[in-house]
Amino acid sequence: MEYLSTDKILVIDLNTTAIEEDELDDSLVEEKIGGVGITKYLYEKYQDDDPIVIGTGLLTGTTYPASASSQITAKSPVTGKLCHCPIIYKVGLEIKYSGFDYIVVKGRSDSPVYLWIHDGVADISDAADVWGKDVWESTDALRTFVGDDLLQTMMIGPAGENGSDYAQVCYNHWNSPDRFGFGKLFGAKNLKGFAFRGMGMIEVAEPEDYVERSLEILKEIKENDFLEKKGLAPMLTVLGEAGVEEWINPITHRNSADYFTPYATNTALFFDEDPELLKESEKDEPGILVSDIYALLSLKKLGLSADDAGRVLKASAKYGIDPFAVAKLSGKNTLEELTGAFDSLQGEVAIPGSGIFTPWCPTGPIFNDFDLSGDEEIMDWWERRQAVSMIFGIQPIFSLMCPELTEANMLELASMGTELELTQEVLDAVIENILG
Amino acid sequence: MGIQINALKCTNCMACEMVCSYHRDDGFAFLSACLVAYRAKEKKDYFGMLLKEEDVLIVARPEGIEINKIGEEADPDKKADASAKPMLLRESCDLCEDMDDYGPMCIAFCPVDAITLD
Repeated sequence: MEYLSTDKILVIDLNTTAIEEDELDDSLVEEKIGGVGITKYLYEKYQDDDPIVIGTGLLTGTTYPASASSQITAKSPVTGKLCHCPIIYKVGLEIKYSGFDYIVVKGRSDSPVYLWIHDGVADISDAADVWGKDVWESTDALRTFVGDDLLQTMMIGPAGENGSDYAQVCYNHWNSPDRFGFGKLFGAKNLKGFAFRGMGMIEVAEPEDYVERSLEILKEIKENDFLEKKGLAPMLTVLGEAGVEEWINPITHRNSADYFTPYATNTALFFDEDPELLKESEKDEPGILVSDIYALLSLKKLGLSADDAGRVLKASAKYGIDPFAVAKLSGKNTLEELTGAFDSLQGEVAIPGSGIFTPWCPTGPIFNDFDLSGDEEIMDWWERRQAVSMIFGIQPIFSLMCPELTEANMLELASMGTELELTQEVLDAVIENILG
Repeated sequence: MGIQINALKCTNCMACEMVCSYHRDDGFAFLSACLVAYRAKEKKDYFGMLLKEEDVLIVARPEGIEINKIGEEADPDKKADASAKPMLLRESCDLCEDMDDYGPMCIAFCPVDAITLD
């Protein structure tokens, strides 16, 4: 495919170390659009090899607002279902610019490896030097090795290597939306993770029109009053959780956004540094970046101080374990007990609805009501909204805030950008297929 | 007249970098931007922006603006990041003079109004 695409599907066989490239045919996009529409198709095509499929959205990395996300599609080793996990921060963006729209990883390696994806080239690299290291050590080691601090990673830590059901695939240094145990799946394949970097260019069929419409949509979005707020705490407040802002604000450093996402959905907590420090900290690891509002809330509800909650989140990110599972399933309520319980968690984290989307993402609208009422209507809307976000590559939390991001204007921009006829009927069929 | 950056309002979303490069390339990329989101100190949550103008390199840090005259010798005590982009090789900001409908693209597309025209 010529537009909004790298035109490349990468297929990596860890059994044989074979690396193949396929073209992304227009006909597949006309039928499945993109994102999880196509990752599910690729999963089914290669399902005998228990694949992990990484996919970008059709609009990912463009001027469409909040076009930040990519996704992992794989069978959860915990639930047995085919699940979809958003890839957030700046990692989802980097995948497309590293030169591939989709990456299929088949089989299992005999020894630990990581996949180094850069500027349209893919390498299976020996991970002996990082296997056994935690997520932070691994990301730092690869960035140092490559000589690029902007290298974007998806890594597992000891939890994934040891086969924990609660192991996450972490993004750069941070916990991720993974509630599916995808970290365990990586570990079982001897796959430490991915490193991405690229300076590619994405062509667009009608660039001037595409950019003009993007700006019109952005201007509509900016009319929302909630954009005066930033970070996790206001989200929890509007979701009905009182007292979070008073608890967390004293250690909040700054809030940051995923690529071109108008609301800053990430909050940095400083507990080994003055949170009000503006200049660069002289400490290497002053705190933690948090995107998981429910992990944060669960730690608060255990009675932890915000400082100790931040330390649990940091230890979880390093170990590569779901901090929500740590808070909910460990039965512990002190910093020392919680961080000592990573290897002894038992029980299940409930996955709502059809069980294919992550409850890291709040299961209802945020800041706006979208004219919804009743639990069933809200859950149906949420699952459809998640599917749409992950077809087009939209930051999935922001899509719950913003009615101006419509299916109609996503289709409009996708059609304008690709010169393909992508209709509501096609989108409805893709969503129906995803939701099964 | 020039670009003014409020690094404290910035949320490091990179929209400015994308549309700056688009203005040069007519495609989506980051390689040609003269305005770059600085994000190399990720663990320290330290971010801001770099802007190349004709004679100066503006570093918009959270603690304030630093203006470095291009051609002057760099401070030997400052360690460069491994990922420091070759900003000096890029074209200077032209305030998107050819984008008649928009003015500077970084200002039009900044979702948090961290960039203004001075």
